[in-house]
Amino acid sequence: MKNIMGIIYTGERDEQLKELTAERAVAAVPLCGRYRLIDFPLSAMVDSGVRNVGVITQKNYHSLMDHLGSGREWDLHGKRSGLAFLPPFLNNNTVGVYSGFLDALHANLNYLRSCKERYVVSTDTHMLFSAKFDELADAHEKSGADITLLYTRDPGVRRNGRGRYIQVEEDGRVSRLEVDPTIPRLPCTYLETFCIRRELLIHLVDEAVSQGHHHLTRELLMDGINTRSLKIMGFENPGRAWYLDSVQAYFDCSMEMLDQDTRNGVFPADRPILTKLRDEMPSRYVSGAVVKNSLIADGCVVEGTVENSILFRGVHIEKGAVVKNSIIFQDGLVQEGAQLQYCILDKQATVLRETRLLAPKSYPIVVAKNLTV
Amino acid sequence: MLRKKRCVAMLLAGGQGSRLGILTRHEAKPAVPFGGKYRIIDFPLSNCTNSGIDVVGVLTQYRPLELNAYIASGSPWDLDLVNGGIFVLPPYQTGTTGEWYKGTANAIYQNLAFISQYNPDYVLILSGDHIYKMDYAAMIAHHESHNADATIAVRQVPWDEASRFGIMNTDKEDNIVEFEEKPKHPKSNNASMGVYVFTWEKLRKYLTEDEKDPNSSNDFGKNIIPAMLADGQKLVAYSFNDYWKDVGTIESLWEANMDLLTDAPEIDLHDKKFRVYARNLGMLPQYIAESAQVDNCLITEGCEIHGIVRHSILSSGAAVAEDAQVIDSVIMPGARIEKGAVIRRAIVAENAVVSAGARVGEEEGLIAVVGQDAVVPENAVVTAGEQFGE
Repeated sequence: MKNIMGIIYTGERDEQLKELTAERAVAAVPLCGRYRLIDFPLSAMVDSGVRNVGVITQKNYHSLMDHLGSGREWDLHGKRSGLAFLPPFLNNNTVGVYSGFLDALHANLNYLRSCKERYVVSTDTHMLFSAKFDELADAHEKSGADITLLYTRDPGVRRNGRGRYIQVEEDGRVSRLEVDPTIPRLPCTYLETFCIRRELLIHLVDEAVSQGHHHLTRELLMDGINTRSLKIMGFENPGRAWYLDSVQAYFDCSMEMLDQDTRNGVFPADRPILTKLRDEMPSRYVSGAVVKNSLIADGCVVEGTVENSILFRGVHIEKGAVVKNSIIFQDGLVQEGAQLQYCILDKQATVLRETRLLAPKSYPIVVAKNLTV
Repeated sequence: MLRKKRCVAMLLAGGQGSRLGILTRHEAKPAVPFGGKYRIIDFPLSNCTNSGIDVVGVLTQYRPLELNAYIASGSPWDLDLVNGGIFVLPPYQTGTTGEWYKGTANAIYQNLAFISQYNPDYVLILSGDHIYKMDYAAMIAHHESHNADATIAVRQVPWDEASRFGIMNTDKEDNIVEFEEKPKHPKSNNASMGVYVFTWEKLRKYLTEDEKDPNSSNDFGKNIIPAMLADGQKLVAYSFNDYWKDVGTIESLWEANMDLLTDAPEIDLHDKKFRVYARNLGMLPQYIAESAQVDNCLITEGCEIHGIVRHSILSSGAAVAEDAQVIDSVIMPGARIEKGAVIRRAIVAENAVVSAGARVGEEEGLIAVVGQDAVVPENAVVTAGEQFGE
C-alpha cells in the first residue's frame, strides 16, 4: 500500500479551448471516444496505489461532478478514503475564486490536514501524458528532496510565450525555472505535477500565503529554486506529452491517437484508463458503411462513410454522409448526404441533410453543444 | 427483520447447459457471452432492474466461478443496495445434512429462509437460459388482477415445435386447465417460458409438501405445477409474444446472435428506456483500420479490426488481423483471429486464438466452435459442426 494521496487541480486557463470549454472545465473535455481529460491523471493515480484523491475545482464544474460521481468507476467510493470534490467556497479568508493554485491549496488546508497519507502527488489537467506516480513518489523518497517536479523532454509541449520550463542538473536538482517566457530557454518542460510530503506542503502553503503570494509555481517554487531554500529535484517522465492549449492542439492530439503506437503509449495495457460507463450496446455497421482508420466508441450506428475520425458514444452517421478527419462527441447526428471535413462536433450536435462543413486542416470548425447546423 | 418487499426474484442459474458443448465446459450457461458485450444472465437481471424488482437471489451450482465474479456486488444492474440487492445462493451444509440442488423446486426450497426474510407477496422464478426483454411488473399485475396462486408466462410457438415444450392448455379467461410436458399430440401451442409468479404462501406450502415426497424429482414443471393443478389452485397464463429465444444449443445461440444483425432487430438493445445492463470492461473504443472492411456487423469496445468482418458479432477486446475474414460468425471476448485466417458460420469462444491461415467453419452446414482459450494452429482446418478444444 502506497502512502500517497492525490490532488488534481482543475482551475484556470479554461478559456484556451474556446467553445469546448464554454460549458465545461478543461478537466471534463472529452477525448479519444469515451474519456474525459481528468480520467488520465485520475486513473494513473489509482494505478499508482493512491486511494484518496482531492479534486480542486474552480468554475464550470457541473459536468465534472456528473462525470466523477461517487468515484465508483475508479474504485474511489470507499469508506476509508476515496474521492473528495473540493469546489471553491466563500469564507472569511477566501473570496470564492482563486487567483492561483496556492490560493486553492490554502482554501483547502483543512482538507489536507485531515488526510493521513505521508506524501501528496499533485497534478493538473492541461497536459496529457501517461505517468507512473508511484515511481515519482519512490524517487522523491529516495532522494530526500523537499519537492520533486515531474518533467518531460518532449519538444511537442513547448510553446512560445507560454508554459513552465526548468533546468535539471546532473545530480537531478532543479537549478532554474522560467514561467511563460517569450521563447523558452530551459531544456525541460515542467508537467505541473509534483510530489511533496503532505505536512511540508501545508507548512509551505501557509507560509507563502501569509507573505502575500498567490501562485505556487511562479512564486513558491521560483523562490525555493532561486534562493536554494528548498531542495527541489526533477524526475523525468518518459514517453510523449501533449499540451492541450488550443483547439488546434486538441485536434492534433486526438488525431495522433489513431496511430497504434501512440495509442499504446497513452493507454498501456497493464494500466487501463478508467472512465464513467454508459451501458451502450456495441456499435452497428450497416451494409454499405465504409470505415477507415477510425476510433469508434460503443452505441454508434454507421451507415455512411467515416475516415480518419473519432466517434464518441451514441453517434449516428446516416446513409450517404461522409465524415473525414473529424471528431464527433457523444450522441452527435450527421444526417443523410451531409459532409464533414476537419470538424469537431460537440455533444448532441446535429448536421442536417446535405449540409457541407468543410474546414481547412489548419483551422478545425467547432460546432457547439446541442447546435443544429 | 428486513423491510418487506412486494416481490423477490429467484434466478435459477445452476444448470450446466450441456447442449452448449465445449462452450460450457469452463463456465455455467448464464455466464456465456452474448451479443458483443453481454452475457446471457444480463437479460433476466436487466429485466428485474427495469421492472423495479430489487431483491434477486441467484442460485448457482455448476462451475460458479465466472458467474460469481461477473455478478460480484451487482452494481452493473443497480443491485448493490442497502435494502435489497443481489445474492448468490449456492447449495450449503446444515449440521450433518446438506446436499446439492436436486431440481429446480428443491433449489428454491433450500432457500425458503432467504425469501422469508423479505416476507414478500410474490416470488418470481426465472431461468438464465433465454434472451428476451420483459417487464415482469406487468406480469405481476396480471397475477394480482386475476387473483391467481401462480401465473406462468407462455408464448405461442409454431405447432410443429410445440411437442418440445411444456404446453399450457387454457380456458377463455387465461385459466390453465391442463399442463402437458412435451406432449406428442399438443392441444395448444402455448409453451411455458419457464417464468413463474407465485403467491408466496402457496409457493412455500407446495415446495414443503413436494420435499416430503421421496418419489418427486423436485421440478417446477414436472411436480409443483401438476400438484397445484390437481389441488384446484388458480393457475393463469400470461402471454408474452415479443422476442424470446432459448439459447440452449450451439445453433440457437448462434441464431440469436445473428438476430441482432437484421435490419430492424426484434430485440432493441439501443432503447434507453429499457436498457440491457452488463458489466462493462471500460476498454478503448474500437479501432477500424485503413485495411478493414466492416459490413453489417456489431463491434464493441477494445476491438482492433484490420481484416474483413461481414455479418458477424465481435465482442470486447477481439482482434481481427489483416487479410483475415470473419463471416456469419460470433467472436467472443478477447479472441484473436490472425493473419489470413477465415472464420465462417462459427463461434470462437473467449480468448481463443485462430492462427494465421487457419480455416474455421464452412459456408453451409452446422456451426463450428473453437473453445475457450483454445489455439487453432496455423493453416489448420476446423470443419462445420466440429468443436475444437481440449
